[in-house]
Amino acid sequence: MFWRKQKAAIQRFHPLHRALTLEKGFTVSLRRDDWEPVIQSLARHTTEIRRRKWRLDERVPGALVPMLRILASDMPPDGVLSVAADMRGAELPEKKGPEVEMPVRPPVLGMHQWYALDPWLRMRAELRDGSVLELAVTDRVRFRRRRQRGSSGKVKIKTKRKTVQLVQVTRRFAKDAAVRRPGTPPPASVRVQVKQGGRLVVRASGKFREPLVDRAIDRILQVSTEPFRWTPPGTAARRTT
Amino acid sequence: MDAAGHGREEDHVNRCTVTTGFFVLGRCGRQAAASCGQCGRPVCAEHAAPSGVCPECLAAQGYGSQDPHDPAWARGRRRHYYQSSSHAYQDAAWYSSFDQYDRGAFNPGDDYAQGGDWGSDDDTGFVDS
Repeated sequence: MFWRKQKAAIQRFHPLHRALTLEKGFTVSLRRDDWEPVIQSLARHTTEIRRRKWRLDERVPGALVPMLRILASDMPPDGVLSVAADMRGAELPEKKGPEVEMPVRPPVLGMHQWYALDPWLRMRAELRDGSVLELAVTDRVRFRRRRQRGSSGKVKIKTKRKTVQLVQVTRRFAKDAAVRRPGTPPPASVRVQVKQGGRLVVRASGKFREPLVDRAIDRILQVSTEPFRWTPPGTAARRTT
Repeated sequence: MDAAGHGREEDHVNRCTVTTGFFVLGRCGRQAAASCGQCGRPVCAEHAAPSGVCPECLAAQGYGSQDPHDPAWARGRRRHYYQSSSHAYQDAAWYSSFDQYDRGAFNPGDDYAQGGDWGSDDDTGFVDS
């Protein structure tokens, strides 16, 4: 029996960690403190698992775990944190959009292009100031497959991909929140939409070329800043009673 | 005890003033068990490090965790985040408001000294000081 020790280790993991390892994703809502055992289980992964097939995607320690830590630190103990993580990649048929044929000239024989939308991380957190934060990170991947005849008559097929990462952060404020518009506009890469009403909603969207795993958390935090600039640090959590 | 007396008693309780949260800041507010060996602020048992200094002093010394699996990671990353985001948004007020709040714990009479996220459900185990 191959990989016996590592299979046994996977069985000892937290069920959500096991789902990330074997199924590359999960969708679940848990209370704040119930996420700590998941994170502690994920921390053991690199020491116990070496098989390539069962390695965790780099986005798990690079973006998912840091965002779990950050959002949990802003939540009350009874707050619910929902996560939908999908690390299966953008090549799945259900994520593929319609193919279109592109105009070509010799020696290219033909080219097809299609887009795939890969929403690999969605989170919803009930924060301790009464507001609700929703986060979505989506990779929009453009695929181009072309057939080309070389000088020897051999036909080669090459596929190229180009990724744009879309980060959207929405904060729905509490009813009695003291909100004020920030003094300076956001950077050009961040677009802001505001919805007035009983509960003010601020949505910040960012678009980034060439997503880098080690910078994913920086980009998410950069976009997340805008909704929180509407309530400066320290004011939102202050209690008057 | 009357309400006023109860209020006076709570005023004397030594609470932990460590800043908590990342975007939504607050004070820990648990009963202090020790004081930081460097800055002297009251610290609860959970925030008291084996080295005897508070988490902020530990992070300032460069011992903040780089591993997001560590429970102290977000706390160590907070100041770096506010610095970099303030620069990206060209919003000096964003960083200074965080800095004022974070330093407020060291100035007992300051407006930022309170602002805790503690509530009536946190006052377990308080004793007269």
